[in-house]
Amino acid sequence: MLGKVASHFGNDYDADGFRTCSITGLDIHRSAENHVKLFGLTAVVALIIGGIFAVTVALTRWELIGLVGEQDYYTHLSMHAWNVLIFWMVFMEIAILYVGGSMVLGRRLPLTVLAKAGWAIMVVGAIGINWSIWTAGVQEAPLLTAYVPLDIPMEFYAFAIVFLLGTTIAAVPFFATIWLEKRGAVDRTLPLVTFGAFITSIIAVQAILGGLVAFSYALIWHLGIIDTINTGVYRTLFWTIGHGSQQINLLAMITVWYFLTHVVGGAVVVSEKVSRSAFVLYLFFINLGAAHHLMVDPGLSVGWRIFNTSYAFYGAAFASMIHAFAIPAGLEAGRRQRGLGGGLFGWLSSAPWRNPVFSATIFSIILFGFMGGITGVLMGQMQLNMTWHNTFATVGHFHGTVALGTTLAFWGLLFFVIKTMFRRDYISGTLASVVPYAYAGAMGIATLAMMYMGILYGVPRRTSSVVENIPGTDFSLSAAVPLMTIFGIFAVLALLAGVLFLLVAAGSLLFGKRLSDGDDGGLLPDGGYSTDGGESVHAIEMRGTFTLCMVFLTVFVVLYVLNWYLLSQLWAIGA
Amino acid sequence: MPGPLDEPEGNWWDQPINRREGMWLGIAGIWSVGIFGWMSGFTRFGDQNPVGETYHVSPDEFRETVQGYKEEADENEDGHLIPPDDSVYIGARRFDWDGLPAVLEVDREYDIHLGAYDVQHGFSIRPEHTLSKQINLQIFPDTEWIIPMTFDEPGTYHVICNEFCGRGHNGMHGELYVEEA
Repeated sequence: MLGKVASHFGNDYDADGFRTCSITGLDIHRSAENHVKLFGLTAVVALIIGGIFAVTVALTRWELIGLVGEQDYYTHLSMHAWNVLIFWMVFMEIAILYVGGSMVLGRRLPLTVLAKAGWAIMVVGAIGINWSIWTAGVQEAPLLTAYVPLDIPMEFYAFAIVFLLGTTIAAVPFFATIWLEKRGAVDRTLPLVTFGAFITSIIAVQAILGGLVAFSYALIWHLGIIDTINTGVYRTLFWTIGHGSQQINLLAMITVWYFLTHVVGGAVVVSEKVSRSAFVLYLFFINLGAAHHLMVDPGLSVGWRIFNTSYAFYGAAFASMIHAFAIPAGLEAGRRQRGLGGGLFGWLSSAPWRNPVFSATIFSIILFGFMGGITGVLMGQMQLNMTWHNTFATVGHFHGTVALGTTLAFWGLLFFVIKTMFRRDYISGTLASVVPYAYAGAMGIATLAMMYMGILYGVPRRTSSVVENIPGTDFSLSAAVPLMTIFGIFAVLALLAGVLFLLVAAGSLLFGKRLSDGDDGGLLPDGGYSTDGGESVHAIEMRGTFTLCMVFLTVFVVLYVLNWYLLSQLWAIGA
Repeated sequence: MPGPLDEPEGNWWDQPINRREGMWLGIAGIWSVGIFGWMSGFTRFGDQNPVGETYHVSPDEFRETVQGYKEEADENEDGHLIPPDDSVYIGARRFDWDGLPAVLEVDREYDIHLGAYDVQHGFSIRPEHTLSKQINLQIFPDTEWIIPMTFDEPGTYHVICNEFCGRGHNGMHGELYVEEA
């Protein structure tokens, strides 16, 4: 068994430890590749654990099944949240930093001792968090937020600090890579993917600092070092990591979008200036989005709330809309340059839709934008938040961003890595092709059902029952039962698609045919990896992308107006 | 032609931008400023804003205040509280709502005083027959939040907790009756 695992950490490297990627032509060093695999595989383990608890959580909320009683439900929900929302994401993100840094720059990974130490500390933290949730006993489960002053195990806060410290240590080799690259070459420009990874790492530092302060504050209160703890202060500190960690996902995902649309779709960068400026806007403004969680909190001034929830006049939402154009436009321009597909959408219809790397990436872009992105802005408007806060619609929002957007992008990356780094062919090309369609379709419908239940029926999050049965009263939200049935069925289908992904991924690693040197595994874009000049990129038609963006804006405007209409129907509230 | 994995060539900052990308930048910029303006303006001209005075108060102090209010309030034949004036006190505690059920008059502005005695709770309220009309507010154990509300339709309003407050949270429910004066 160990030999089997070890065999996946070996490729044919030259005397200096480098090999050339058969698709990207990048010089890959053994040290970078092996650590990417280590963090990637660990992330998949977290996904499996979190996915198992997705089954119990979904089948509990679907009250027809009612799998877990209230006594245990919050434990299951906490396990689901921490394993998929944090561990699956963060281990993948460290891997992405190493790809965006050492691999793209053709360097060895420096300070590998710190990479290994960081990984080990993160694993200890993750196991400790799971242990403290599972053994909380008479104390309460923390859920994601571990809100004070609930009686939550002190060990939970301690292990959360350990996990964050481990993450910081694991990121140091990436920062060292950037420093080594730029040392003595300040006039040179980092590739866009490395630049995106670098901005991701900076906002991660901001988020992690906030998290360390938040969990330390709660820990010293539990230890009795301070007598009282301020609820609002904890919430403000917590959400710098609680939401900031999701902003790390966002930036890592967008970096992956630029990467994968390029390597399997043939995308180019239509404007370095515009795309990089959008990343810089994120750097300054995206973490202000932590305030989205505080819109209906007491004690915060209107000015503070409006400035922060809007990321300072929507600087970060503007940045997202820039990427929403730049990435499909890169695909359109790159494929038009190669003469692939005419008309308005020929460049898109001729794309490699059977390639799961490509389809997962495109579904990630579309579903993140239409479902996660738009709803994020809506619920982040201070007044609209009154109708979204802590409802099932909120859960729908972050399943749009994370379970659809980021997870699909990361699956696309894993499908890519199976062929390019593990050098294995898919055990079944057909099943691999099916995965993104099945998951995006089923999870998309389940997510829509959550949003409708929250907004139209006021179904709350974080309860094991209330739609059909609120204990102690005849009142219920049973009007939402038909939607809950749709949710339940499609959540189960999405979980089955997740199982299919794991079977294909694990099956390919264990039993997939080894690809020979130079074999691109059928991943190379039509018309070759790179275009050979010709027309300047800015002069190429981008009318297909413009049309898609106008469709997006129309949906955005319609949903915006509908949400405000619903709000205006409420009774008067507020000073 | 360089891609996102390559160092860009030459003076990339001065490269022209595609005409349609420029148009999209303008549209997205206007939309961003527009929705900021609407949200900001609505605090001045809108009727639904999560805005009210807040005071730092200990859980015990707030519990005593609610107790005093309840002693001062009348009760109808069903034992539901009728507030003595325009102030309505609701204290959230695991796992019920102190101060509910209460009876309010339609079209009269009340100051709803929200607070908690133990942990954080979620004040989630909706009329019985129109579930899409719902308002959700966060409640802290160390803060009193005074939010004015004017109910414009009579009926039974149901309050459920939508912030996890411990095992038992599922059944945290209260009622508020809005009646014609």
